[in-house]
Amino acid sequence: MVRMAVDLGGLQMKNPVTVASGTFAAGREYGDFVDVASLGAVTTKGVSLHGWKGNATPRIAETASGMLNSIGLQNAGVAHLKEIDIPWLVDEGATIIVNVSGHSLGEYVSVVEALEEAPVDAYEINISCPNVDAGGMTIGCHVESVESVVSACRAATKRPMIVKLTPNVTDITEIARAAEAAGADALSLINTLLGMAIDAKTRKPLLARIVGGLSGPAVKPIALRMVWECFHSVKIPLLGMGGIASGEDAVEFLLAGATAIAVGTANFMNPTATTEVIEGIARYCEDNGVDDVNELIGALLC
Amino acid sequence: MEGARETSGFVKRGAPMTKLVNELASVQANEPLGPGLYLMALKAPQIARGIEAGQFVHMRIPHMDDHILRRPFSVYGRSAEEGIVEILYQTVGYGTDQMTRIGALESVEMIGPVGRPWRPPAAASRALLVAGGVGSAPLFLLAEKLIAEKREVDVVLGAQTAEALVSRERYEALLQAPPRCSTDDGSFGFEGFCTPLVEQALAEAEGEGRPYDYLAVCGPEPLMRLVANMAAEHGVLCEVSLERRMACGVGACLSCVVNTTGGLKRSCVDGPVFLAEEVIW
Repeated sequence: MVRMAVDLGGLQMKNPVTVASGTFAAGREYGDFVDVASLGAVTTKGVSLHGWKGNATPRIAETASGMLNSIGLQNAGVAHLKEIDIPWLVDEGATIIVNVSGHSLGEYVSVVEALEEAPVDAYEINISCPNVDAGGMTIGCHVESVESVVSACRAATKRPMIVKLTPNVTDITEIARAAEAAGADALSLINTLLGMAIDAKTRKPLLARIVGGLSGPAVKPIALRMVWECFHSVKIPLLGMGGIASGEDAVEFLLAGATAIAVGTANFMNPTATTEVIEGIARYCEDNGVDDVNELIGALLC
Repeated sequence: MEGARETSGFVKRGAPMTKLVNELASVQANEPLGPGLYLMALKAPQIARGIEAGQFVHMRIPHMDDHILRRPFSVYGRSAEEGIVEILYQTVGYGTDQMTRIGALESVEMIGPVGRPWRPPAAASRALLVAGGVGSAPLFLLAEKLIAEKREVDVVLGAQTAEALVSRERYEALLQAPPRCSTDDGSFGFEGFCTPLVEQALAEAEGEGRPYDYLAVCGPEPLMRLVANMAAEHGVLCEVSLERRMACGVGACLSCVVNTTGGLKRSCVDGPVFLAEEVIW
């Protein structure tokens, strides 16, 4: 029996697999396919204080081995999350990471404060969404704003706090170090890469918002490189994601230095992707004489 | 704030009526029916047993791994006893082109049955079903259901050409009165769009003193909008089947939202069938 449990900056996960925020709602929509309690954690869709409408449609476009999205963090607000989604996850026995979004520093803090009384296991501070005009990536691209938002959230909670980074920067290790210095317990990366798609026939963009975030197998090499860079730049653990669709993909992220991983776009391709990734990691360990999945973290040979 | 009220529309998400499955279906047949139009029959006993008229399946099309998203298809025909579902599809891009190459006995994964089905009111005794193009597919199971319930059903079918009116014979075999048909080129039935036939049907039913009390329409969105307006003018309850670009097909990703009087709703699981009066076009 392979030991699968990991400690992600104080968050105890029964295995290293969670879902990428925004690809799994708050779990219930996948409830017919996946026992959410069997996941290392469920990471919920980004939540803001009073809810947002999101962007106009079309919000997605398929691209080579990937997809673009510009959902725009549509959500019903933190009260709804507390009343409806968190109780369901608790009933199911899930470990809960709430992705926290805001348009301003104050909103991030207010969302964390509103959640402090709820049975949440960890926060993921979303300073990396590319599809909003304020907050998200606009904060996560600059050392100063990263430090101020992460410090402010840090002051609001003692719970494990993961900070989710954007790849749309010149040097992700600089941002990673800033988040670590400001009190992050772990980092998750990568959020989507800003991209666009055009229909040559109509001469129009495929997304209503013109640009959107690229995800899926196409981004995996970039995500792996950034996880590897951050592993060598910070001491806090990493939650790796970007194009993971199989156990082998997940193992590659662990080898690059991730302590845990998230399955994102693959949920859309295959509703049981998370379960298959967990099984695939365990099988890899068995086949390779690995007793404890923690042995794989950063075990890249080079 | 405004956003909170608007998004509250999807707060009261109804529990799915049937459990979703990701079924490995075996293709029984995949044949051309008309210009760019194909009929695929699949053995998928669980979905065949559970599916209701207007619901759809979300298919992972094989042999196109670099195109990662599934494609949604409404179900055209089914036999619960034999475990067969039929999909009538039109080639509109890479995915549907690939579909035409799927051979018999190949396996295809599909999630289903997804979505809110047609919900004709229990009291509705006379229904008008209006289909543009492959919009005839999701209406056929509805026609079967209404006929089985001994309700009166009339059908209007529109297509570009006579060859594209591929579901006409199936409707003719089911219905007492043959469907009213239109073709853009006049090669069969009325020449032009089907909307004048809809107006005619509504007026005739009123003239007979037995007006329609339910109208269901599926087809290109401008057609649905026009027909929904006609239904409203005649005071007939109308449902429409909407489709948006979709990723997950289970209600999680919020790609496929539709603007409604009740806020943003997901066309996959809150739809695809909506009350026309609810839709903000």
